[in-house]
Amino acid sequence: MRLDKVWIVARKDMSEFKTNKYIVFSLVLMPLVMSFVLPIAYLVPITMLTGDNSNVPLDLHINITSRFEGLNVENVSVSNASFVKSNLTNVVAQSCIFENCTLTDVLARDSVLLNTTIDRSYVIRSNIEASPRTDSTLSGCVIIGETSRTVNMLKTFIDSLLMFFILVPVMIPTIIASYSFVGEKLNKSLEPLLATPTTDMELLAGKSLSIFIPSMAAAWISLVPFVVLVDLIAGPVLGYYPLPNIIWVVGSFILAPLFCLLSISTNVLVSSRVNDVRASQQIGSLIVLPLVVFFVITIAGLITLDLFYMSVFVMLIAIVDAAVVYLSLKVFRREEILIRWK
Amino acid sequence: MIETVELTKNFKEVTAVEDLTMTIKDGEVFGFIGPNGAGKTTTVRMLCCLISPSRGSAFVNGMDIAHPNDRIKIRGIIGLLPETPGLYESLSAQRNLDFFAQLYGLSSTVRDRRIKELLTTLDVWDRRNDPVAKFSKGMKQKIAIARALVHEPEILFLDEPTSGLDPQASLTVRNYLLDLKKEGRTIFLNTHNLDEAEKLCDKIGVIQRNLLALGSPEELSSKFWGKATVIEARSLTPEMVRAVESIPSVRRVDLAEGKLLVELDRPDLNNPLIVRTLVERGAEIEYVSELKHGLEDIYLKLIGGPR
Repeated sequence: MRLDKVWIVARKDMSEFKTNKYIVFSLVLMPLVMSFVLPIAYLVPITMLTGDNSNVPLDLHINITSRFEGLNVENVSVSNASFVKSNLTNVVAQSCIFENCTLTDVLARDSVLLNTTIDRSYVIRSNIEASPRTDSTLSGCVIIGETSRTVNMLKTFIDSLLMFFILVPVMIPTIIASYSFVGEKLNKSLEPLLATPTTDMELLAGKSLSIFIPSMAAAWISLVPFVVLVDLIAGPVLGYYPLPNIIWVVGSFILAPLFCLLSISTNVLVSSRVNDVRASQQIGSLIVLPLVVFFVITIAGLITLDLFYMSVFVMLIAIVDAAVVYLSLKVFRREEILIRWK
Repeated sequence: MIETVELTKNFKEVTAVEDLTMTIKDGEVFGFIGPNGAGKTTTVRMLCCLISPSRGSAFVNGMDIAHPNDRIKIRGIIGLLPETPGLYESLSAQRNLDFFAQLYGLSSTVRDRRIKELLTTLDVWDRRNDPVAKFSKGMKQKIAIARALVHEPEILFLDEPTSGLDPQASLTVRNYLLDLKKEGRTIFLNTHNLDEAEKLCDKIGVIQRNLLALGSPEELSSKFWGKATVIEARSLTPEMVRAVESIPSVRRVDLAEGKLLVELDRPDLNNPLIVRTLVERGAEIEYVSELKHGLEDIYLKLIGGPR
């Protein structure tokens, strides 16, 4: 295979794409949505939910005036007291410290709860550490040493955004390939091209490269503002910048190109059987299904999106890629194109 | 040179071309005529190494169309004008040609020179930067011809080059093909236009799945009708007809509308004898001419149809 011929074909196709408003529109719009709209629309509401869940302890300025240990306290109001190994029931507490206690039907405010069981209680603006809770409500509290459910949700959502990111190099080839292969077939420009001294492989590689380059360029360019925005939005809540991380690196630089290649090869297969650009796009876009299934499984919590599962998924897609590329090579043969491409 | 030996192409149950055996010499303009679906385009596609033959063999400039290494070399020395121009509509005429010239491995300098030469000759140089989509059908056909010629191919395959063109555009294309013929280029011309084939071609092949006839227009005319002389004269009588019929080399004589149609061998030798015979019997000769059968007659005789 001569790479110079591959590049000649790719360059010509890319020159054509530049003049196609639908392709240009897709190349601009999808990354824009991905980079700016998605992180803002998706993450901002979640970070607002997690706004009270900072891990930095509240500065409560508690001034303890009395200390109790091993007591059973009921039906009283207490303030500025320290309780150790005590049971408190139906108590209103202000600016207290509870250590190794059990609180039942307690209203506690501006307090510190350490290693304390909280049951049917309401805790306001307090620092809580290693304290199990049942049927209780916390408001404005800092839970030390424990990641809140909403923070965990935020992390999961950031990882699940990877699916949307990978959609860019999956969907753009569907649009471009439909114009590239079906368009060329409708225009009857394939025959003179096939009559040139190029091999089937050079033609297919050139056409595929012309789709791969703009698709991945759009995806990777959109990645930069996306990462910055996600870090700006989620960083203050999480206390660290979540992107880039290893999952995203694997997803962006291994999984996304694999999906892009899969999308292109699938569209070659589809284009050999349809004569309509839109039909080609619709059938070709079914390629998103395995991606969606994988991420739905992740969001549903059936698997954790870690490096192991990412690697397994990458390997699966690589195998599928190899099979589909092989089939597309069988379809993209001169005689097949001239005789059997409908 | 193109040489085919029992070249056959089957598409599943259907045989498109069967046992095609012929030779086209270097510098010849070969006209391939036949009805729609006769196998003309299939033959061109086989010779251009776009599809493989089912049986038989063919050689283009000595290279085997069935040999993988030869196939790519053959595609390098041929130029193909398919039935539809098949240009990249959004690209300019120059970009279209430049793309193909690059695929043929022409250097930048040669590409620029050739493209300018061709577009100037075909009178579209001023529109070189316009997208092809804005061109008329005739102009697109010119660009497609230029594309087939951009790498100066040794053999040119043209599939219906004037199909669908208006008379003026057809004439421009035909004149250009005549110029190419003068250059001595080998041209394989698929056409329905018998007048065009007659004017351009040195050799004609009539195909309807099988090759029905092969030869120059004159050879085909002689083969199917033999030689004949038409004599227009006043005062022709049945006795004069009988006198001419008695001449040994004369095969048949018909008298109609004051014209004597004489089918004979070697008219160059026998016409003076016939004229003398008629004059001696009192005929007043006005014209003596050779009866010619056009390609249309040959085609209709072979393919069938109204006379």
